Amino acid sequence: MNDTHQAATGQVAVRPGAASLTSVFVRLKLALLRNGLRQSSGRRAVYVTSIVLVMLVTALQMLGLIALRGTAHSAALTTLLVVVLALGWAVMPLFFASGDETLDPTRLVMLPLRPIPLVMALLTASLVGIGPVFTLAIIVGSVIATAHGAAATVVGGLATVLTVLVCLALARAVATANIRLLTSRRGRDLAVLSGLIIGVGMQFVNLGVRQLGAAGGLQALQPVADVLRWVPPGSAMDAVRAASDGKYGIAVAELGITTTGLVLLLWWWLRSLTRLMTSPDSSTLQAAAQPDTARGGRAGIAGLLPAGRTGAVMLRSLRYIWRDPKTKTAWMSSLTLGLLVPILNAAQGHGSLYFAFFAPGLLGMQMYNQFGQDTSAFWMVLQTIASPADAYAELRARALTMSLIAVPYVALGVTAVAAVTGDWRGLPEVLGLSFALLGTLLGTGALTSALFPYSIPQGSGFKNVAPGQVGIAWLSLFGGLVTGALFCSPLIALTIWLHISGSFGLVWTLLPLGAAYGFCAAWGGLRLAGPRVAARLPEILLAVSKG
Amino acid sequence: MEHGRAPAAVRIEGLWKQFGQQAAVAGVDLELPAGQFIGLVGPNGAGKTTTLSMVTGLLRPDSGRVEIGGHDVWSDPVAVKSRIGVLPEGLRLFERLSGRELLSYTGRLRGLPGDEVDRRATQLLDVLDLAGAQHKLVVDYSTGMRKKIGLAAALLHNPEILFLDEPFEGVDPVSAQTIRGVLERYTASGATVVFSSHVMELVESLCSWVAVMAAGRIRAYGPVADVRGTAASLQAAFLELVGAQRTASGDSLDWLGGDAR
Repeated sequence: MNDTHQAATGQVAVRPGAASLTSVFVRLKLALLRNGLRQSSGRRAVYVTSIVLVMLVTALQMLGLIALRGTAHSAALTTLLVVVLALGWAVMPLFFASGDETLDPTRLVMLPLRPIPLVMALLTASLVGIGPVFTLAIIVGSVIATAHGAAATVVGGLATVLTVLVCLALARAVATANIRLLTSRRGRDLAVLSGLIIGVGMQFVNLGVRQLGAAGGLQALQPVADVLRWVPPGSAMDAVRAASDGKYGIAVAELGITTTGLVLLLWWWLRSLTRLMTSPDSSTLQAAAQPDTARGGRAGIAGLLPAGRTGAVMLRSLRYIWRDPKTKTAWMSSLTLGLLVPILNAAQGHGSLYFAFFAPGLLGMQMYNQFGQDTSAFWMVLQTIASPADAYAELRARALTMSLIAVPYVALGVTAVAAVTGDWRGLPEVLGLSFALLGTLLGTGALTSALFPYSIPQGSGFKNVAPGQVGIAWLSLFGGLVTGALFCSPLIALTIWLHISGSFGLVWTLLPLGAAYGFCAAWGGLRLAGPRVAARLPEILLAVSKG
Repeated sequence: MEHGRAPAAVRIEGLWKQFGQQAAVAGVDLELPAGQFIGLVGPNGAGKTTTLSMVTGLLRPDSGRVEIGGHDVWSDPVAVKSRIGVLPEGLRLFERLSGRELLSYTGRLRGLPGDEVDRRATQLLDVLDLAGAQHKLVVDYSTGMRKKIGLAAALLHNPEILFLDEPFEGVDPVSAQTIRGVLERYTASGATVVFSSHVMELVESLCSWVAVMAAGRIRAYGPVADVRGTAASLQAAFLELVGAQRTASGDSLDWLGGDAR
């Protein structure tokens, strides 16, 4: 790459022009894409498959949008779609900062580059990639869905270019303004939480789509679209509709709004870029100047917990639920989805109290792979476990932490679902079975933690298993779940029998029975797991230290 | 070469560990004398970390025996684990705890009474110059601070023997001097320190006793003066022992430097 060399060593007199700089960045981006193929054959297959899948989804989206052509209120959908798309572009760098190396301009800080050619070169280079192709396809599809007539087609062409540029400039500007945060520890923590936000967000999107279906058409979107048509890049998309309707004045005004938005974004980007590249990184200075204050809640919780290993382990586990992004994600998604799924289902009228099993099921799963959650820091635990009794105490403390949150949560959650569904009669049995399930999962979780530990990669919000350990992770989770279900089967059989024989007067006994059953299952699992952990300490450390 | 006259703190017999085709540790026999500052030296990949991991119970050996203070590491862990302190290399700490919380957690896990843990933690944080950062999360610590908090956690239960894997790797000179001071005070009281390193100058100035390792085997061991022998420095003796020759600096980099410009 002669140009890079030139750029790197270029003397002040022969500064590379904007055109050559642009071609350098475009070629850099192409090289990065191509290098995605130069991996191990397995990862290459994943890479190619993901590209093919994205292309397929893109094609389907486009076809779907084209099929909407002529439908009333289709412009409401396309306006909303384009704004959501732009929002996605704005948020994306916050979660995937490490995904695109060219997003971090501080890597270029040693090169003699002028800001305006740099912005133009980076903007052009960011057109290369799967994301822009996907965006372009959706926008073109949207234009085809809404453009009627020659004028509207011309406006559509302009709108497409403007919208793509707004999306890219937005992503770049947000990334540049926040790059110090994104490359810091807090930024990486945020990225790990993205899995949670996407998971919970999907539930709401799901709900929205269903309600749209229930409302009977796109007209439900009209009030939202009436606001968004004045917000770039939604304004560009609405301009196509305006031109189709013959309202050329509005179309020009809306295109103008989008153009102004684009110029403002570019100006913001340019400013942050200049400031970033010419001022020193002050993150370490800030860190040094920060007053060192004790973390709150210390005396409060610590005072209530038992002394010795049990209290120490519980306190650390509780702190990790709040402070460790990976653990936090797992807990928050369990707590949110455990209630959201049954209540959303109930709210739509086809809910059942039995959906409440989501809560104990998801929370109980947190007991699985306990030592994998420790990562290689497990050695600190290993050094203090000298006997099966120590291992039992360690596991019991962890199960107690789970129960501290899970028992009241399940009790309140199941009651709440009963309130929403109005099925108060089913409450005792579902609550009893929930406690039984929770206890069984705690017991089997302790056992599988001892027998099938695996590493949880820390950097990514989406990878929960290290390469090469997928088999053992599935074995641990599904083997455990099946065993858990089998363990609960006597109680389930009893429930069914009580219902079939019509002994409804005795159904309440399932509550104390289930609670006792769960307690015994958890205790038994912990008792069995203790000696296994004590005997397998180095093997567990090896298994959880990968990746 | 003569053995140390003091009774053995660690006795290793026929220790062996194989990773795939390669024997990382290929039959180590060694007796480490008590009350000494002991250096385990060798080039990268010599098997130092693997040996220390097996001695401290972090890694199960394929064969061989390890005794610490007369107790077998694998059959009598209760007696061994309370007597040793460990600072491994390449393994994490519980990084989402603050420095003080980490010590408080470790001490209670070791079964020490709560107020005693807090008293010792305060002193260790003071001596290791971490008092100012005690409420900061370990994840935000520098390399030197991590090594120091790891050392504090290893010392908290007052072990008889301390095993440190590369305790000075990536540590700034000020932190290194602090760590050195604490370790010297600790051995002066009759305790044993075993640490691995590939920095010979450091080992020569700190240790009273060394074992030289290369390619999974012990090449030489004994008091530093004995191992150095007639060589000018431990570095020279070491290079001779592991059989590393200086490569001839012919004309392969003849463009590098002022004359070629």
